[in-house]
Amino acid sequence: METAVFYATDTVDDWDAARSLLLEAFRLSQEAATAGRPIVYVVHGDDLLGRRGAPSAMVATGLLSAARTAAIELARSRVPANVVAVADDTDPSVVDRWVQHLSDRDGPTGEVVRLDASHLGKALP
Amino acid sequence: MVVTGAARGIGRAIGERLQTEGYTVIGVDIGDDLADTTFEPVQVDLTSPDGPETVARAVDRLGFPLVALVNNAGITRDARLVNLKEEDVAAVLDVNLGAAYRLTRALLDRLVPGSSIVNLASRAYLGNFGQFNYSMSKGGVVGLTKALALELAPDVRVNAIAPGLIATEMSMAIPADIRQKMVDNIPLGRMGEPAEVADLVAWLIHPGYITGEVLVIGGGRSLA
Repeated sequence: METAVFYATDTVDDWDAARSLLLEAFRLSQEAATAGRPIVYVVHGDDLLGRRGAPSAMVATGLLSAARTAAIELARSRVPANVVAVADDTDPSVVDRWVQHLSDRDGPTGEVVRLDASHLGKALP
Repeated sequence: MVVTGAARGIGRAIGERLQTEGYTVIGVDIGDDLADTTFEPVQVDLTSPDGPETVARAVDRLGFPLVALVNNAGITRDARLVNLKEEDVAAVLDVNLGAAYRLTRALLDRLVPGSSIVNLASRAYLGNFGQFNYSMSKGGVVGLTKALALELAPDVRVNAIAPGLIATEMSMAIPADIRQKMVDNIPLGRMGEPAEVADLVAWLIHPGYITGEVLVIGGGRSLA
């Protein structure tokens, strides 16, 4: 079954843009949850640590928490919800591969997979 | 200092705790129940276009240096993800996250060096059944905290507190049998008290070496 993938890797500059993205992610997630489709949010790793400004960080960490809650609600149906964190230079084919990994109903759920290295030695939200 | 959502519950406890240390507290709330507090009251809807500026004007009017901002105002509109209404997602995001961001921006120039921002997140940022919108908003507060901590260092420290089940009006509205099940899953075996959260806020506001962190106060619920 096709995975619902939401990309939020570009920077956003203000509250209105952040709000719009989070609402868009909600709509996609609700549609996926209703259909029993896996959910993957793709965010920028620097935003999980607040390095690219508040609006971008609010989106990335908001999506991480949303994935955790979706994972809890969908666990009984074995529908995973996860997050992939990328860097500026992450190859899109690598992202696609991890989206597939994280769509496995026997795989992890409620997790964040970091494809960059900038988080090493830092605290995850 | 400014405390939002100050009329009741955790916000009121925070304001009262800070007053015991001699601070002047501007209590911000949307309702008119600030009247029975001893705060400098500002009744305003923080999600309105001029809400944050209204608070900023109150700070200017009082003329005290702004040494702390506590973004506490929050609401819930709970439902499972499949049943959530978009207007309830928007409302929760606007109050819990948008208001904190916009008010902080409006007050930034007024915060003096050495001051502190404390954002009230929630243990729900780690995920909580039936709270997709709330969890998303409080997760956003965590990101807001980290970004501001980097942006405002070294002059202003920014931290978040993530309370678990606290004995407030909001929690006491949960049906008793469900509330008891929740308490049964808390290793410390009880709900937290608003005063305990207020103590932690007061501690974070004091000068220190902590910034960009999230402190969970949940009786061990994050483990069990």
